[in-house]
Amino acid sequence: MSLDIRRSSASVWGSHSGMRSVPTVSKYIDTTTCIGCKACEVACQEWNDLKPVATEQTGTYQTLPTLDAGYWNLIRFNERDFDGGLAWLMRKDQCMHCDEPGCLAACPAPGAIVQYENGIVDVNPDQCIGCKYCETGCPFDVPRFSATTGKMAKCTLCVDRVSVGLEPACVKSCPTGCLHFGTKDDMVALGNIRVGQLKANGFAQATLYDPQGVHGTSVVTILAHGDHPEWYGLPADPHVPWGVKLWKKVLRPIGGLAILGAVLGAFAHYTRFGPKKVEGADEQDANLPRA
Amino acid sequence: MSAVNPNRPMDTAIAVARTREDVVVGNEIVRHRLFSRYMHWAVAVTFVVCLLTGMPIWTPVFGWMATLFGGLSVCRVVHSWVGVAFFLASAAQFVEWMHDMHVEAWEKDWLGPRVFRYLRYEKDDPRTGKYNGGQKLYFWAVSLGAVGLMLSGLLMWFPTGFPSFLRQAAYLIHDFTFICFVVSLVFHVYLGTAAEPGTFGSMTRGTVTRAWARLHHPRWYRDVTGDDSRRP
Repeated sequence: MSLDIRRSSASVWGSHSGMRSVPTVSKYIDTTTCIGCKACEVACQEWNDLKPVATEQTGTYQTLPTLDAGYWNLIRFNERDFDGGLAWLMRKDQCMHCDEPGCLAACPAPGAIVQYENGIVDVNPDQCIGCKYCETGCPFDVPRFSATTGKMAKCTLCVDRVSVGLEPACVKSCPTGCLHFGTKDDMVALGNIRVGQLKANGFAQATLYDPQGVHGTSVVTILAHGDHPEWYGLPADPHVPWGVKLWKKVLRPIGGLAILGAVLGAFAHYTRFGPKKVEGADEQDANLPRA
Repeated sequence: MSAVNPNRPMDTAIAVARTREDVVVGNEIVRHRLFSRYMHWAVAVTFVVCLLTGMPIWTPVFGWMATLFGGLSVCRVVHSWVGVAFFLASAAQFVEWMHDMHVEAWEKDWLGPRVFRYLRYEKDDPRTGKYNGGQKLYFWAVSLGAVGLMLSGLLMWFPTGFPSFLRQAAYLIHDFTFICFVVSLVFHVYLGTAAEPGTFGSMTRGTVTRAWARLHHPRWYRDVTGDDSRRP
């Protein structure tokens, strides 16, 4: 599959080749059939040659409290009491591969974050300067800075596998079929079927989480309790932070014009008024005291 | 005075300007002693380095500036540390100059139309002391700006753990302050060099001519020289 670049960070004109017709791909995660086996976590570490990360006991089965620069795929074991019982709302946490990536919008390094034509958002460590702006840009709290490398890191949606026609490692390893991979259209269609099944089985609020605040994501998630995405650790209405938009889209062009205006203003002033001459610069008053 | 070359008479003004200011030496008046000039050059150089390393991070339009330092990732490191140096130099300069920077009531109109009268080269108020109202206000603005840049810069340098809205606010404050800084700096440098000949010497030799002082800072001229004859 082609790796044409749709968007590139800090690129003034973008780098849309527009030559090929490439479908947007997507991962499909069904939280209702996840059994929390963590095979996807292992597969992710294995395929991406990530070093072992020491686990942390937080009172649940969860491997780590949160994602890590060396741990890109984490099953979150969310526990929730209701109707007198306990629901175990396991969700695979990872980069959501937003259609409008906040990390890319915030990134100041040309080409350090790219979005391929197929929708995958990837980091190019060569170009990353480790400024951590992407941490602020991301509405899902995904990018992680590695103190070892001085770069940020996150799930690549196994772009190296996808580009040669393979499914991501996590999908390959999933034993229950709660993970699928395909075109976004196919995954949304599959999701709609599953949501229909859940609704018919008493989960009236079931939804396919594909947040439109970031124009959809290349990871679509089935939530049985779709009215409460926060139960799964997902934001209800994620979008690129307003501060980042204001900073890049409004303040930056205004600032550029203001600086240009100041330089032109100074030139115009000099052309109109010239230097402010000091009259009688050579005169000397002999009566004044000396140092 | 040591090491005087007998073939080249000692420049008395330079010698005096090492330690003293507000004194007359021949046709010159010492405006800034050596320490004061060192401080201002430290602020200027660190600011320009921060400008050249920050602009390519601000927008790729100025990406070429990063080449001067060996790339964007070098800029990121240099910008942070030189930024700290800029803050320290600004703080030292603040302490050095603050005593002369009390804005008097009649100078408040420098916030308004007086700026434009000044730019049209209308005669300065005879009450103008060592610094005019514009310079005083600029001093307080850049001092406050240096604090703003430092605090927001620290947050941008070490964002982990801070809530998102604070980090976003830091970016906006850092950018806004930087833009105000650059816009005013363009005029600061322009007025200090091309627009007002004789001014730049106060940053190099430390001295200005009597005529310059009489024109730009009449009350300071009178105070330093005791010359009341030209009082308007």
